[in-house]
Formats: sequence, C-alpha cells, structure tokens
Amino acid sequence: MKADETKAKRFIYPTRGVCPPEIHFKLNNGKLEDIRFVGGGCPGNAQLVARLLEGKPLTEALEYFIGIDCRNGTSCPDQLAAAVSAAEKGNLKPAESFRVQDDPADRRRVGLVGAPEGNPAVLHQIIQRIQASGIETFYCLGNLTGNSDQNKGLIQKMRKQKILAVQGENDWRYALGQETEGMPPLEQKERDWLLRLPQVLSFQMKQKKAIVFFGDYIQSLPDYSDFEPFALEMNMVCGLTDFMQDETVFPALEAMIPQFSADMIVFGQLKKWGHWHIAGKDFISLGPASYEKGLSWGQLEVEDEKIEFKIIRSEYKGG
Amino acid sequence: MAESVKVLPQDIQEIIEVHEWDMRTREGVQRFRELKAKSLPSVALDGELVYESLIPMQEEMIDEIRRRYKEKNQDE
Repeated sequence: MKADETKAKRFIYPTRGVCPPEIHFKLNNGKLEDIRFVGGGCPGNAQLVARLLEGKPLTEALEYFIGIDCRNGTSCPDQLAAAVSAAEKGNLKPAESFRVQDDPADRRRVGLVGAPEGNPAVLHQIIQRIQASGIETFYCLGNLTGNSDQNKGLIQKMRKQKILAVQGENDWRYALGQETEGMPPLEQKERDWLLRLPQVLSFQMKQKKAIVFFGDYIQSLPDYSDFEPFALEMNMVCGLTDFMQDETVFPALEAMIPQFSADMIVFGQLKKWGHWHIAGKDFISLGPASYEKGLSWGQLEVEDEKIEFKIIRSEYKGG
Repeated sequence: MAESVKVLPQDIQEIIEVHEWDMRTREGVQRFRELKAKSLPSVALDGELVYESLIPMQEEMIDEIRRRYKEKNQDE
C-alpha cells in the first residue's frame, strides 16, 4: 500500500429538500465511488450521474454540482456536493458497517415473524392473529422477499402498515441488484426500500436488551467490523456455534457471553424454530412464517424479569 | 492464557513463536474452529490443541515445549 492510500470510507447522507431521502457514497483517496441516490427521485438520471462520477477526483466532480437547482432551492447534485463537503470536513461520520435500528419503547410482549418470503397473504393473516392476541407490536425478520411473484405486493403491504422489518439475505441481494437467478425483478423504489432496512434491530424488554438479525451475510458486508455494537453476538452465533447447531462449543460461548451487550439474540438464517438459554442469555431461531398449510410466529413476553418465549401455530385459511 | 505464555523464561521464548487470536473476531473464531477447540482458554502447540479450559503450570508447559522442540530437531 502506498503511503497516501487509505481505506475507502462509506457515507450515508440524509438529504434535505430533494426526493431521495439518502445519498450513499464512498470516498477513496479523494475519489468518489459507488454513489447511490436512495429512496426516491429519478432512478435513471441518478444512475447516470453515479456512473459519470465514478472514480472522479473530488475537485473535478464538485465542478459539475455547482449551480443546479431542481426544487426547494436545491437539487440532488447540490445535496451530493453538501454530502461530500461534509464528509471532507469531518462533519459527516463514516457509516456504520451494518445498519442498526433501535426501537426505543420498553416492551412487555412482542411478536416475532420470520421469513414471509414474498407472501403477503401469509403476513396478512399473521398480523390479524397477532393483533387479536393483544400483542403490543411485532417485528418481521427477513427474508421478506423470496422466489415469489408477490414480492412487490408484500413490500407495499409492509410499507403501508409501517411494519418494523429487518433485512434478510434475499432482501440484501435484491437491494444490490444481485438477486439469485430466477427471482422476479423489482422496481428501483422497492430495491431502495429493501436497502434502507435495518440489518440489526434492537429493542428493550424491561432490563433485557434484544437484537434481531438474519444471519451471516452481514459478516460479509465490505465494511463489517468485529468491534461494532452487537458484532460479537453475531460472530458467536454465526461463526462459533453455527447458529447454535454445534453444542460442543457452548463452553466457549459461555466464556464469551459476559462480554455481550444483548440479553436476547434472535436470528433467522436457520429457517427453523429453536430456543436456547445459556448463561442467562436467550438465543432464538425464528422459523418461517408459513409451513405446509400452517402459519407460525413467535411471542416474547417478560414478566418479573423472566423471559418467556412461545411458538404460536395456527391454520392458514385460504390463499 | 496468553500471559502464561508471555512470561515463559527467555530460553523458551527464543525457541517459540507466539500467536494470539482474539475470540471476538471472525479470524479468531475461524482459528478456534480449525483447531477443533471447544472451550476457552485454549493453547495449541505446533497447530495441535494441547490445553483447553485450563492454564497449565509453567513447568508443565515448558516440558511440553521442550519435548516438541527436541522431537522436531531430531527429525531434521
């Protein structure tokens, strides 16, 4: 590595006054890379801008941004200029290696829905049952999308109902335009919605902190750091225990648990239900939302500092 | 555990090379799995898991290192 070379830094800039709510980009040795206007706007134009600016030195790129007005006295290029300037001056911190969202409410009873995989009818019926059971909120863990021609319908439903969702590996691949061959195409706005989903969701139940994440694709994200919050929990679940399937290493897991910041660790990659209670921590594997002709979801409840986890199964009606 | 290796006498330090893996990291976990270790702390000598869950007495570790060193040098 040359002395003046530094690692590329990734940034996420929250825009003002323009259609896309976020601009994602990288700075690599004073050059712009991987620019993406996310969540709205003119996707074709935005992609063209990104391609034209790819690898351009900042000094050269900034010349293109000046004097462009679109709406509200600003424009996407103007916002990109603001973003780059903020990053250059250190006023915009590099993005975390994975996206964490915190539900600030203190919960008592929550529902956990796993992998609807592009089936809005299944999700609809589970939501109805969860709401009828008096659960205060629920979280839906990816894969939200699957090999289904109803992925778009599912995303529309989730957006409309503002469901708290966590990205799965399929969803991540869709967001990057790298979905598995044979998966039906999605429009850019749906891909952008999937891109902006949290990869880790944290929530609180009395004194207990819970995290929800899909699986090991997060560890392969280009900027993944072993030392960000909750990375330890993910490394132990994914790498050490193979999603709790290798019980022989549980003694090592126990030795690492005192360094955990979460008390409940929920994951989805295994695609089957499971619950382990080790050294005061709960590890929960979420099964899929539907199986054969039935529905299933999980319920977490805290009472007197004690966590109770139940798997609820019910009949799937129609569809 | 790493400390127990670092405080070995100078003559032993001269014949060994010490690698420490951080179990918080993916690299550390991968090495742990490669060694087929089960618990912590663990010490491997010449890539072979020798001590698990216990910190051996210094003399015991010195004897084991010397034994391996002699074996290797006899082979050469």
